[in-house]
Amino acid sequence: MIRVEARTSAAPELATETETRLAGLWHVIVINDPVNLMSYVVMVLRKIFGFDDAKARKHMLEVHEAGRSIVWSGEREPAEAYANTLHQWHLSAVLERDETD
Amino acid sequence: MPTPYTNGTFPPFWNAMKRIEVRLSVSVVAPLLDVIREMATSLSENLAVPLKIDDLDEVMREAWVEDLQREQNADLEFLLGLFDEEFFRDGAIQLDEKTADRVIRACAAVRLRLRSERLPDIDEAMLESGDVAMNELPESRRNVFLCYIFLATLQELIIQHLDMGETKA
Repeated sequence: MIRVEARTSAAPELATETETRLAGLWHVIVINDPVNLMSYVVMVLRKIFGFDDAKARKHMLEVHEAGRSIVWSGEREPAEAYANTLHQWHLSAVLERDETD
Repeated sequence: MPTPYTNGTFPPFWNAMKRIEVRLSVSVVAPLLDVIREMATSLSENLAVPLKIDDLDEVMREAWVEDLQREQNADLEFLLGLFDEEFFRDGAIQLDEKTADRVIRACAAVRLRLRSERLPDIDEAMLESGDVAMNELPESRRNVFLCYIFLATLQELIIQHLDMGETKA
């Protein structure tokens, strides 16, 4: 008789570790690049985040002048979705956990 | 027919159904298509912007890259598809809001690739202003630079008219 045994004891620990690592507030940060047009960056920010023109321009200028701008903050999962969409539009984005707590 | 701008484009217009027609000078644009094709090939297995999110798990990263690559390739295929027989007959390309997005994204991907692969040594300020001495560029690079400028102009035109469309709506 073949006996199949499955051991899963490590999984809950791993899941807990991942949940802890990804918990908390995350920032979606757009990084400057020397190629994309300012009007393009404004348009993409308006499309993705629903910003009005003034807010999109403010972030675009911050990206241009400071090299980066926090464009959204919140839970990890939606932050990943926003970063993915920014990449789809060829804007470089990183995620950073808020360390102010 | 109206007179083209010096960059080979004509003033575009929106019709009531929010479609944009952009007229281009075939003689100016045709030599640039090889540059776009070359970059599209170079991008077929490379993202224009490498993923910089370090802490994604491996499965998620692979899924993201695959998905982004597929979308990027679809955008580039659409852009190249605009320059078909009809384009060579009358120089016109027609877009709706959805396909305009594809074209704007494809232009961004090609421009990013041109910058990193074919124009890495040109000063950033010069490239931004477009103030590059064409006569000093080797002939093989003139079309590369013109292509970079042309794609930016095409993006600008479409973005401006998308904005106008939103204002009207």
